[in-house]
Amino acid sequence: MRQFDLCLSSEGSEVVLATSSDEKHPPENIIDGNPETFWTTTGMFPQEFIICFHKHVKVEKLIIQSYLVRTLKIEKTKSKEPVDFERWIERDFVHTEGQLQNEEILVHDGYCTYLRFIITKAFDHFISVHCVSAEGLVVSNHS
Amino acid sequence: MVKLAAKCILAGDPTVGKTALAQLFRSDGVHFQNYTLTAGVDLVVKTVPVPDTGDSVELFIFDSAGKELFSEMLDKLWESPNVLCLVYDVTNEQSFNSCGKWLEKVRAQAPGTTLPGVLVGNKTDLAGRRAVDSAQAQAWALGQGLECFETSVKEMESYEAPFHCLAKQFHQLYRERVDAFHTLV
Ligand SMILES: Nc1nc2c(ncn2[C@@H]2O[C@H](COP(=O)(O)OP(=O)(O)OP(=O)(O)O)[C@@H](O)[C@H]2O)c(=O)[nH]1
Ligand SMILES: [Mg+2]
Repeated sequence: MRQFDLCLSSEGSEVVLATSSDEKHPPENIIDGNPETFWTTTGMFPQEFIICFHKHVKVEKLIIQSYLVRTLKIEKTKSKEPVDFERWIERDFVHTEGQLQNEEILVHDGYCTYLRFIITKAFDHFISVHCVSAEGLVVSNHS
Repeated sequence: MVKLAAKCILAGDPTVGKTALAQLFRSDGVHFQNYTLTAGVDLVVKTVPVPDTGDSVELFIFDSAGKELFSEMLDKLWESPNVLCLVYDVTNEQSFNSCGKWLEKVRAQAPGTTLPGVLVGNKTDLAGRRAVDSAQAQAWALGQGLECFETSVKEMESYEAPFHCLAKQFHQLYRERVDAFHTLV
């Protein structure tokens, strides 16, 4: 089994929900593999997005590149549909003036079909998410 | 086209006309009526277009009771505000003098961020009873970085301008932040 970025849209993943959308900075930018493009939130928190892998995966490490995020919660589910999310990870980020936040999270029990990212607090009115990648394995190609 | 969403705190002493202003704005100036004092909080939601952009801002206006100035309840309700509408009554000097305290209370909820805001002097229809000078209010607002307006909710005068100004300021802030996001990589 080969190790690669499970989140990439070029590998078949998809953002199936985002609570904010500016058509100039759409949520697809999170998983296009390019940190120069980003998704912005457009209002009050919490804000969230859901990544669908379209397969069963086992995530071992998450890397999140963002700006002005203060608290991030991550939930996961193994369902066919984006339902029954269970609480998984909660992180407080530090404020990185003028440069991207780069958070690497080693995770346990990363079996899932969908991941849900909830930004509950921010350091400013708006935040950006430039990249989310997940290192891990494909368990089964059926979701 | 983007639709922003802003939590707008409506603050000021009791009876200055906060509820009257918010309700008139909600009903597009359909009617002015008497309101009894607000208990707890009312929420008014309204979308305001930003001129020349195709964009808009959905304002979530939190109308709380003026008697709660020192209450801790507001600290929770006012968490993470985006914009501020500070109201006083031009016939009531005390209500103007309280504005500093209100401003402080709201700003304490948004440490380290810019909080766009407007100062609104209401009840200009009661011209004979005016106790707060426009120039005086303007000078104070300028010093605090607030845009200054006068309204008469009763006469349905200028009641939209403060909210349109807030929407515009918030939209401007969004543009500035997005420009900054572009420079990160
Ligand atoms: N003459 C005059 N009266 C006004 C105007 N705006 C509001 N009022 C009156 O002022 C009184 C108080 O108005 P409210 O809107 O309830 O005041 P409030 O600021 O919400 O007060 P609290 O909820 O107690 O904090 C009401 O009787 C209104 O009719 C105005 O422009 N002119
Ligand atoms: Mg009221």
